[in-house]
Amino acid sequence: MSAPGEPPLAGEVAIRARALTRQYGGVTVVRGVDLALPAGSKTALLGANGAGKTTLLAMLAGLISPTSGSLEIAGYARGSAGLRRAVGVLGHKPMLYEDLSPLENLRFFARLYRVSDAEARIEALLRQVGLWLRRHERTAILSRGYHQRLALARVLIHDPAVVIADEPETGLDPEGVALLDDLALRRPGLTVLAATHRIDHIQSWASGIVRLDRGRVVEDTSSLTTALVAPEAARATPATPASSGASVSPETASATGEGAR
Amino acid sequence: MSPFLAVVEKDLRLAWRNRSGWASAAAFATIAVLTYSFAFDLATGDVRPLLPGVLWTTFLFAGVFAAGQSFQDEVEDGTFEAMRLAPIPATAIFAGKLTANLIALLIIEFAQLLLATILFDAGLFTPALLGIVLIGTIGYVSLTTLLSTMGGHVRGRSVLLPVLVLPLLVPLLIGAVRGTGAALGLEAGTAPWIVLLGVFTLWSTLGAFLLFPVAVER
Repeated sequence: MSAPGEPPLAGEVAIRARALTRQYGGVTVVRGVDLALPAGSKTALLGANGAGKTTLLAMLAGLISPTSGSLEIAGYARGSAGLRRAVGVLGHKPMLYEDLSPLENLRFFARLYRVSDAEARIEALLRQVGLWLRRHERTAILSRGYHQRLALARVLIHDPAVVIADEPETGLDPEGVALLDDLALRRPGLTVLAATHRIDHIQSWASGIVRLDRGRVVEDTSSLTTALVAPEAARATPATPASSGASVSPETASATGEGAR
Repeated sequence: MSPFLAVVEKDLRLAWRNRSGWASAAAFATIAVLTYSFAFDLATGDVRPLLPGVLWTTFLFAGVFAAGQSFQDEVEDGTFEAMRLAPIPATAIFAGKLTANLIALLIIEFAQLLLATILFDAGLFTPALLGIVLIGTIGYVSLTTLLSTMGGHVRGRSVLLPVLVLPLLVPLLIGAVRGTGAALGLEAGTAPWIVLLGVFTLWSTLGAFLLFPVAVER
């Protein structure tokens, strides 16, 4: 077991959800979702529009509360400061202050996360996402793609153990997608759960998939979830690290019914 | 730097960069004080009995003009959610936004007091009156900051905020207007208006701090 405050070790469960359910009024959007994603795994969350992907990710990120069920990320319970420190969220919106510069945006979030040696970290990230030379410009004048790059830097500012992303490729050009791959989706050790419709892209980074249909998990190739649901089986089945290359098969990709954009 | 101070600094920087809300509030307050000064000059020789009402209606509407601005932008850009994701207490976010709103509104109020001093030829910069303005503004901004958060996800929030906030502010307004009158040497009755103002401010500030984490939970 990893020590308290340390990111989970490979083979440990990084994202664990049990019977996670969310209702809005009388409508159940996510129903009884069980997940057990290994540390370091890269999981693509698939499903048609309205399948409940965004709601599930928002619950995992801590942005909305589940109606029922339990959740644990990197060993931390829902709502704890430890969980929020362990998670980075790349959402639909870049979540940036348009009237602040990229430098000021990252400084602000570094202060919220109490990042040590923040200036060096900020400079490194801005250089990595190609915004160092534009660090003093207002974020509002940056293109959609640069917004997304800056959002990626915001997500990584506190070096999270888990990244939860909702269509992270949105607005990125091929160079931006390559950056996303290098800095997050394919980064060794980082646990990633990302909702996407880019089937052509997930084959390059995902080690497993979870597919939702009308709020239910209908397919899950992440290695530990079965073990979570049947604890006895867990002891019999060794955990499979994400690096084992459990990639998404072409059959799976073609069976999604979702075309690449 | 603590997260609280980071929120204060960020909000003040944004208020300065995107001045439309606060500039509208300041412009409204200035026009209101100027209009009152011309009207009352014609109507009466002694305008002091009217000053408490003039000052507090001006402060109140200037604050309502500006209060929803910062939360509205934060909700639309998703930055409020980004702050909520950080490992800091919700109360630190609230305290930061409350302090930034308070500083911005106090600057406008100071300018209005200065303008009123000149136009009405009244000594308004007394410790008692400044204390009442400070206490009343803290209570008022606590409520408007909380309610602008609660209306942040609602359509028509710019209409909703005054509708929600004005009835709740009646006790504060009574205490503040009467207390200001007493500070100006006017007959204000025997009721402990300053105590009413203080108790209301304490109630609204404590209540806002307790309710904010619940209000932002989804």
